[in-house]
Amino acid sequence: MTDAPITDAWIRRLNLLQLVVAGIIVLTPTLWMVLSSLKPSFEVTAYPPTLMFAPTLENYAQLAETTPFLSYAINSLIVTIGSTALGLLFGIPAAFAVSWTRISWPAILTLAARMAPGTLFLLPWYVMFRQVGMIGSYTALILSHAVITLPIVIWVLLPSFDGIPRSVFEAAQVDGCSVTRILWRIALPLVASGVAVASILAFVFSWNYFLFALVLSNGDSKTLIAAAFNFIGEGSTQWGALMAAATLIALPPLILAALVQRWLVSGLTLGAVKG
Amino acid sequence: MASISIRNLVKRYGSFTVIPDLNLEIADHEFVVFVGPSGCGKSTLLRIIAGLEPISSGELYIGDNRVNGVPAAQRDIAMVFQDYALYPHMRVYENMSFALELRGTPKAEIDARVKRAAALLHIEPYLGRKPKELSGGQRQRVAMGRAIVRNPKAFLFDEPLSNLDAKLRGQVRAEIKALSQQLKTTMVFVTHDQIEAMTMADRIVVMQSGTVQQYDTPEAVYERPSNQFVAGFIGSPAMNFFPVELRGEQIVFSQDGADAPLDVNSRDLLRKAGHGVFGIRPEHFSVTADAAGAVAVTVRLVEPLGSDTLIHFDLAGASAIARVDPALRPKVGDRLNLRPQPGRAHLFDGSNGQVLR
Repeated sequence: MTDAPITDAWIRRLNLLQLVVAGIIVLTPTLWMVLSSLKPSFEVTAYPPTLMFAPTLENYAQLAETTPFLSYAINSLIVTIGSTALGLLFGIPAAFAVSWTRISWPAILTLAARMAPGTLFLLPWYVMFRQVGMIGSYTALILSHAVITLPIVIWVLLPSFDGIPRSVFEAAQVDGCSVTRILWRIALPLVASGVAVASILAFVFSWNYFLFALVLSNGDSKTLIAAAFNFIGEGSTQWGALMAAATLIALPPLILAALVQRWLVSGLTLGAVKG
Repeated sequence: MASISIRNLVKRYGSFTVIPDLNLEIADHEFVVFVGPSGCGKSTLLRIIAGLEPISSGELYIGDNRVNGVPAAQRDIAMVFQDYALYPHMRVYENMSFALELRGTPKAEIDARVKRAAALLHIEPYLGRKPKELSGGQRQRVAMGRAIVRNPKAFLFDEPLSNLDAKLRGQVRAEIKALSQQLKTTMVFVTHDQIEAMTMADRIVVMQSGTVQQYDTPEAVYERPSNQFVAGFIGSPAMNFFPVELRGEQIVFSQDGADAPLDVNSRDLLRKAGHGVFGIRPEHFSVTADAAGAVAVTVRLVEPLGSDTLIHFDLAGASAIARVDPALRPKVGDRLNLRPQPGRAHLFDGSNGQVLR
């Protein structure tokens, strides 16, 4: 019996070790990116890397001078907010319908579409959008990014809807609710934290998605992540500016996640335990 | 308020038939209890009446309206669920007013109806609370309140007491009974607890394997069970059963050939049936000093309940119980003569369980 406290102490130490290792894996590239963005350009690629340096904002200044960064940011926001809204608009009723009918194949189909490589969609979409003259339009980008946001919304919300006792929906039916009204008046308020999580994840994934914007956008509709690619050239990559751009691109999702952190945690575990 | 009429109702899940062919008439203002063991189809039948389960074939009428295929929302019935199914994000007031709001009832009337129902159920202090802030008993009342405010054609209850503790269950049972007398509305109540069925019902539907075994008043179901299943299901402790047969002109226990304490009339019935089952409720034994017309048993176990005492004994290869006066104070190993009270013995057909007398 005296072994128990020792075992507990070891478990605590192992937990701490796991956290430290995970932290190092996740935070090292982030830290590297932020520090590199603050280094003079000649020090960014120096080997061995310098840890002590005089911080400078010259990379950020270069970024502002050489690119219409704000326009790209607005493009990214329009595409991301648009595709997230589209994902929610169709994903919420779809997830509810899958949960209500217990017919899961439509959800699996969307997951398959999400898991398929983006290149699979690119050619048909390029041809299709070109035919209707939509290449470079926000609509084409928003529609294509819905392939990313829709499955996220459905799969995040599905366990949340499944977690609501069936009898609550049945009580609403008996009370006189149509299925649509059950969704808006009963189910949706009960999965609010799930909707928050789905929105954030959809936002982050759409914000960071590179491939569709690279092919389907033009100079006017280019998103930040696609624009950042311009800094990579043959033999002349501007690493400092690239790191500055990457740091700025990473900020909105980070701020968003920090703001709704509590909802994020409760939403991710929703459906696992019946309330 | 309305009658409920079920005609040749069949319910199948795929190839599995839950209810083979059921007919039932529930009168207006009647309090009917569906009772039976788990899986007998009683909850399915209630859910069919509610419109939560489709009918495979047959007809269902609520009042004069044939409601096959009519959605639950349009049947104008109220239902109290086993887990109460309150809306977790709404306060008690909103839980109760929600259905009225959906029907476009004026606000003043909604308020009056909610407050009236809350007063009736003593839940006025909780109107501003969310369901998670209520105890089980309070949630149960809110669920009933939600049903009452609607003034529906019929109330359906799906085992609403099973999540309450024993004391509260007894209390709420009495309240529902009182409520039914006050509201004078058709009520259908599902339970597996035969005490709930006996105490609340105007008529009881005893179900087994999707069929109605008996549909009658609690007294009739208790006094004159239509078959061995009903006899064994209604009553606590359950009725004692002993296989009997006719040997010559003597009715004897099949197991040991000892004389069974059955009267002359049983002989003719047994002669036709071949062999039978003698049934007697524990409370219908009398302890007697005289061995004539009685069976001599050895006390195996004594359970004093205060109001009476249960004596366990073995007879003709079966384990049996007699309910006796607590003043008797029997001890394990004592020999007692037990005589069936006149007219209280039952005889069932040994092959199909149907009552012979």
